Amino acid sequence: MALVPVYRRLPSPLHSARASVATLYCASLALAALLYEHPLVLAVLAVSVLLAAAAAGVWRGLVGSLRLVVPFALLIVVVNVLVSQRGLTVVFRGGTILGHRLDVTAESLAWGGMNALRFTVLILAFGGLFSAIVDPDELMRVMRRVSYRSALAASLTTRLVPVLARDASRMGDAARCRPAPPGRLEVTRAALTGALERAVDVAAALELRGYASARPPRRSSRPWSRHDFAVAASALLIAALAIAGRAAGLAGASFDPTVTLETGAAELALCVAFAAAALLPFAAPHARLGVARG
Amino acid sequence: MADAVLSARGFGYSYPGAGRPALSGIDLEIGAGSFTVVAGESGSGKSTLLRAACGLVPHFHGGEATGELVVGGLDVRENGPAELATVCGTVLQDPESQVVMSGVRAELSLPLEHRGAAPATVARAVEEAALVLGIAQLLDRQAATLSGGELQRVALAAALVHRPSLLVLDEPMSQLDPVAGEELVWLLRRLNEEWGTAVLLAEHRLERCLPAADRVLAIDGGRIVCDGAPGEFLEWATRERAGLATPGARLFSLAGLKPLPASVKDARAGLRSAGLLPPPEQPSEEPRRRRRRARRPVAVEAKGVWHELRDGPAILAGLDLRIEPGERVVLMGRNGAGKSTLLGHLKGLMRPTRGRIERGGEVALLLQNPGDYLVHDRVEQEAGAAAIARAGLGGRGDAHPRDLSGGERQRLALELVLDTPGPVALACLDEPTRGMDPSLKIALARRLRDLAAEGVAVLVATHDTEFASELADRVVLMGQGEVIADGPAHEVLSGGWHFATEVARVLGGAGGALTPEQGAALLDRELVAR
Repeated sequence: MALVPVYRRLPSPLHSARASVATLYCASLALAALLYEHPLVLAVLAVSVLLAAAAAGVWRGLVGSLRLVVPFALLIVVVNVLVSQRGLTVVFRGGTILGHRLDVTAESLAWGGMNALRFTVLILAFGGLFSAIVDPDELMRVMRRVSYRSALAASLTTRLVPVLARDASRMGDAARCRPAPPGRLEVTRAALTGALERAVDVAAALELRGYASARPPRRSSRPWSRHDFAVAASALLIAALAIAGRAAGLAGASFDPTVTLETGAAELALCVAFAAAALLPFAAPHARLGVARG
Repeated sequence: MADAVLSARGFGYSYPGAGRPALSGIDLEIGAGSFTVVAGESGSGKSTLLRAACGLVPHFHGGEATGELVVGGLDVRENGPAELATVCGTVLQDPESQVVMSGVRAELSLPLEHRGAAPATVARAVEEAALVLGIAQLLDRQAATLSGGELQRVALAAALVHRPSLLVLDEPMSQLDPVAGEELVWLLRRLNEEWGTAVLLAEHRLERCLPAADRVLAIDGGRIVCDGAPGEFLEWATRERAGLATPGARLFSLAGLKPLPASVKDARAGLRSAGLLPPPEQPSEEPRRRRRRARRPVAVEAKGVWHELRDGPAILAGLDLRIEPGERVVLMGRNGAGKSTLLGHLKGLMRPTRGRIERGGEVALLLQNPGDYLVHDRVEQEAGAAAIARAGLGGRGDAHPRDLSGGERQRLALELVLDTPGPVALACLDEPTRGMDPSLKIALARRLRDLAAEGVAVLVATHDTEFASELADRVVLMGQGEVIADGPAHEVLSGGWHFATEVARVLGGAGGALTPEQGAALLDRELVAR
């Protein structure tokens, strides 16, 4: 299972929305995660991303991303615990190393956990859901008007990552066929050299497609579909909720000197509203009408 | 030629730092709407000529060009690939490296968008190209999900979407199975006839493409050594370069028959008019032979081997196969039949989900791409001196493995996998003849016969029926993860349509003749009998 899912067109409202709108949807979820430190809000956002992925048929891809997320999230907790000096509630009293006391506090654990949760939402939204639902070619067409070379590089990366992964896997099999298998480093180096050779071939193919005389693409006037409207409304609603809630001081959280979390009816309502807004494209009337088959 | 789409006058080219020119003294005109095949051995200059036609030579590769080469009115020395792409579509060997976008629709749109075409024009051209090339159902697919044949069709569509007057293809079938290769040839013929697109195609397996060609250019040492209609080329090849002659032409030449045929249809017509066409052989009612289980040593034996995917079908379904020391076995079957998976199991790269494999010694496995085995900077770091000498690379220990030719890489990789501490019981090779010219195939078959003579069993998975007929004394056909036929080569390769050599197809399987020599002997007997 790949750590980052590869886009495949599936019959879902998120896949049927145009690339710019689907990107906005992922960005609004990421924005909400950046604006809040309340673990409940972050947990609801993480669950919302996973539910949206399940409804869009890309659940397995995001589970693959979780394999990437979990070790890093644990690392964030450990680093915070070791580095952060905040909090009064000592849960483990360590010794002194190089003049630094290694006391573990409940507050530093909670702060690390919050950052790990925020990191999880960001990676799931942008590493997982974005990669799985946004057509890279369509996004590149939009971006080409801004920066052609950067957009092309991003598009080629999307195209070539699975190809290079297959090349590397083949080289690994070949190494296992040798009576004295070469070391991992040598195989990796050879795989990188092979990647460079493939890059030269791809550059030749690009030349043959007229890359050297490329002009910015003309603007397309494709009409907005019901899914474009629904996903855009969902994205704007999430962003509006996030900004308005923050401005109103909802879901406040403090981690020093002690952990203080606001958990009133307003916070619960905000969480419910985030989840509902994220799942809006799937719950809207005719949510399955006109979704393109892959 | 007034309506030439390509015109060369004394054209020559040398790669940067090369000791001798890759092309020299090329005088050539390719007419509009013609179908020209470029023949020649590896390193003869075929690919360089084609890369010059599309502007990659000299603009992408560097080097020095002399003389004149004009394509669609554009001089290649003054116009780069992007300018030439307006008049010349190009398809290269490796389908994976030619499709640069993630989705098929975006891939087909890219050349037109680069030219600043309006969205409506792009949309129409993409739809039409997809329909003409039969890939409309692929338009919304991602490139990562396509087979090699599908990718090659997409690359062809991207090269044709702006309707160039010349289409250049450099061994586009070398990475494809025979069915996909033949489909591609007939697609090219249709484009040539219906759109009037001139086709310039370099290919090793000439028997596939000569039936569609109007003209053949043979290149050797960077020079054109033969230029004529397919029949004239075959006359020349049988006299001067037997390796370039098709099996059908060699059959006729050995039997003393004229004219030499460019296709199976021509060959059968020739035999019919000479009264030599044998009656069609009746297919055996029991094509699968159960092999006798003699109490002889075994090189390898698969007993009821299953390979079942967690969320997919069974790739191997209770497969039984016994191979004895010194046997030369060829494994055939369509793509997805389970050939490569079986080789992986015999080597021990994967474990059967059921069943077991017994080995009489070490199993050596050479996978499809020999370059994957070569991971060091010098040949002498890859293998011992004895193995390097056996590969015929003595004195080239300092060379970088990536500087070796395709044939040299394969010889080195083969000796690498055979260089085991214990005795090798079985040598397995997966599609070893892809993209190989006939002389390299002959050398490989000789090495494998030598191995078998030493008592090593040889098992080769291939689609190449001509190579199979040269090498095998036994052919195993696989289908849906099972052995569906297993018998002597002359029985299995003479009775079918697809899994049959060209000579067997010409003769209708008569007498089990597979090679031109066997076919000519059969025709001689027929003549004597009359």
